[in-house]
Amino acid sequence: MIDPTLINAIEQAVGAEFVVSDRSELATYESDGLAKLRSLPGLAVLPGTAAEVQRVVQLCHEHAVPFVARGHGTGLSGGAMPHPDGVLIVMTRLNRILDIDIPNQRITVEPGVPNLNVTTAVSAEGCYYAPDPSSQVICSIGGNVAENSGGAHCLKYGFTVHHVLGVEIVLPNGELVQIGGPALDPPGLDLLGVLVGSEGTLAVVTKVTLRLLRKPAAVKTLLAAFDSTEAAGNAVSGIISAGIIPAAVEMMDRITIEATEAAVHQNFPPAEAVLIVELDGAEADVSVFFEMVQQVCRDADAREIRVAQTEEQRARFWMGRKAAFAAMGRVSPNYYVQDGVIPRTKLPEVLARIRDLAAESGLRIGNVFHAGDGNLHPLVCYDERMEGQAELAKRVADEILMFCLDVGGSITGEHGVGADKVDQMPKMFSDVDLDTMQLVRCAFDPKNLCNPNKVFPTPRLCGEVPGPYRAHPVEVAGLVERV
Amino acid sequence: MGSVPTDTLLVQAQSRLGQVSVRQSTDADSIDGVRSQVVAEPATGDEVAAVLGWASAEQLTVSVRGGGTKLDWGGVSNLVDLIVSTARLNRVIKHRHGDLTATVDAGTTLGTLNATLAAHGQWLPLDPPWSEQATIGGILATNDSGSRRHRHGTPRDLIIGITIVRPDGELAKAGGIVVKNVAGYDLSRLMTGAFGSLGVIVDATFKLAPVAPASRTVIVETDAVETLASVMADVQASTLTPTAVEVSCPPPRVLVRFDSVETAVAQQANEAIHLLATGGRVTRAVAGVDADGVWDDYARWWSEPGTLVKVTMLPQNVGRTLGWFRQTSERQNVELAVQGRAGLGVLDVRLRGSVDAQVALLSALRERFRSGEGAAVIRRGSPELRTAIDPWGPLGDGRKIMQAIKQRFDPEGRLNPGRGPVSSGPAVGS
Repeated sequence: MIDPTLINAIEQAVGAEFVVSDRSELATYESDGLAKLRSLPGLAVLPGTAAEVQRVVQLCHEHAVPFVARGHGTGLSGGAMPHPDGVLIVMTRLNRILDIDIPNQRITVEPGVPNLNVTTAVSAEGCYYAPDPSSQVICSIGGNVAENSGGAHCLKYGFTVHHVLGVEIVLPNGELVQIGGPALDPPGLDLLGVLVGSEGTLAVVTKVTLRLLRKPAAVKTLLAAFDSTEAAGNAVSGIISAGIIPAAVEMMDRITIEATEAAVHQNFPPAEAVLIVELDGAEADVSVFFEMVQQVCRDADAREIRVAQTEEQRARFWMGRKAAFAAMGRVSPNYYVQDGVIPRTKLPEVLARIRDLAAESGLRIGNVFHAGDGNLHPLVCYDERMEGQAELAKRVADEILMFCLDVGGSITGEHGVGADKVDQMPKMFSDVDLDTMQLVRCAFDPKNLCNPNKVFPTPRLCGEVPGPYRAHPVEVAGLVERV
Repeated sequence: MGSVPTDTLLVQAQSRLGQVSVRQSTDADSIDGVRSQVVAEPATGDEVAAVLGWASAEQLTVSVRGGGTKLDWGGVSNLVDLIVSTARLNRVIKHRHGDLTATVDAGTTLGTLNATLAAHGQWLPLDPPWSEQATIGGILATNDSGSRRHRHGTPRDLIIGITIVRPDGELAKAGGIVVKNVAGYDLSRLMTGAFGSLGVIVDATFKLAPVAPASRTVIVETDAVETLASVMADVQASTLTPTAVEVSCPPPRVLVRFDSVETAVAQQANEAIHLLATGGRVTRAVAGVDADGVWDDYARWWSEPGTLVKVTMLPQNVGRTLGWFRQTSERQNVELAVQGRAGLGVLDVRLRGSVDAQVALLSALRERFRSGEGAAVIRRGSPELRTAIDPWGPLGDGRKIMQAIKQRFDPEGRLNPGRGPVSSGPAVGS
């Protein structure tokens, strides 16, 4: 329940028509793309300018009320799940492109601008914005900054953190500050490095300056079909071992191929696995390496290789891949999208374990991967109308994450920890690791108001001062003695 | 506790740190000409933790030292009780060549690491100054890089995991061994470029790159600094994919480097010559030992005496800034030379002249930049210069956040005192 004086003050700040307090209207915002985690916000507000965002945060800070920023709500880890006693700051009205500087290959946008609109705005000038999450038509740049979003092409071009040069942010105490800017290497500590990917827990972003890339002279894309996922995995290893860094290497297995075929009729060959491999760059490099990639695929017993001859064919390959999540809805009433990462050489081992798990559990598991960088997206299919299946699917999805950790991987490659995976964090990090990360949080947000209860399972009490002497772990282990 | 006599501290260290190697410091261990009392040379992360834990309990000030190539970079070091040397942390822990990643101890030199990685045709794609002596820990702490940053970025772009010891002696890690990972805060990047002010780097994991089998460098020589800007603009607007685009003067020239397979570098070099050999520019391509010679000379530039300043700007302002350098250095009576990443707007500038003259030039330079649009940070410089003018320059709005972070990690200000960009300050949200 939000204090009426706070509601009143927020209405004064942004206009009553942009403040939502009615419970039925608030339901629009109860979850992000991870619909199983829901919570009605105490209040939702749609500010139209950075100054209004700042005022809302100042008011929340004064009233010690938590706040959560939300973009277009496409996140898949509940990172934008509202706080029941807090204010949800919906950033969609901050959707202006503020500055385009083609000679310097820079663009400055507000956080509500959808990812794809950045590329669209500079495409005629021969430039583009590299990170391309599958949801790029709708997902916002602000959300990309929060999650350090990747996409199919991050194998070669990196993640959001490699492309953000500057941000304007509202700190949790309501101060509006600029970090970095259009020039590289802002002096001092790498605040951008830690802000990008902090899942909205350190500040609210109100402006972003991004690096643009020149469109490559040549792009070549092929689709290779294999009789087993292992053979496809061997092809991926072969490509990397040959010293080739493709722009993208994506894998889909039989279940996801069939699902997307039903949804978008992309006409992929029937196979246990297909790879989409894309190379880009200068003409000379691309043609040499493209030949090598085809040879590697043949050596790995590809049963068919299709080369996109036109831009339209290339688009069809990608449509098949990018439609994979949504298409699963056609073959299964419900599905759980998992996001884990493994060292790419562990692909055959982990795929075998996932297959065994599917057999044991009786659930179908489709697999789409960013195979080049070892980022798995297993899709665990279930039917929530059947008693116990939803819980089973969750257990199966959790188990897959444990496979990832067993081989030295991560519990999330791009969807984030959010609210969904806080319980898995201690399986990947020690208490000290998590405590150390939260030192940063305490520097930004000592009152723990900015998107609380996300990322970390146990909030650190920031008021703690260095305490009295405790025995050092090494000392306890007997490695050293204290006299 | 600088008042404790050296022999007492050494005896204490020896008795309390058990098997950790500890010795009295010598002149060779000094930082900025300042000697500490005792040097600890831990060989494992746990030993680093033991040393820092002891230093914390005894309230000792601590500096960290790797290969010693950049001890005159950053802020001027205060007197410290203890130097932690990473000399014994010198293993390449694991090269996962199939995954194109490697984990390496902080005290390993970049040269040693890359010699190891070369067995599988890979490298950590960094070419900063003094690669044979500089350690991974020091390169990370300064986020240092060289010409091929144009393609591969800086250490902060390549690091995927880190282990540190906090000033209170706790061993902590972040990131991991996989190239894509968003679990938890990115402490790897926070530690990179922090000049050892937040924690002691124990080891790090990086994504790697394949070593290209062939290389060509196109050299464009011009008669005037003014012409350089048009050369750089032509490269920038093309679809060439160089690994380095370097501008240097004097003498004025641009180096454009291509690394790939032979047919591709030959073709790109030809295209580059065709594009750039206009208007009286002298253009030629070199490969093999000739190219190695060019780049070896290029690397030696950093070792010549003088102040080194990193000057950043928008790429389009490089030409204008070079012009300003020429005019101002003459007026201020400072000898000035430049080489740097033209395509990125990051220049290394070398200055020679009186401290007063250098201060005047740097102050004037800093006034040219609005916040976020450029900076001039002194990398290497005499203690006198770095005392006369803040080596970091304005840190903008971020300063107080940086101070708050330093405060949380090192509330007593005991780690690398003086050298990092900020000292402690209160939390920003309080």
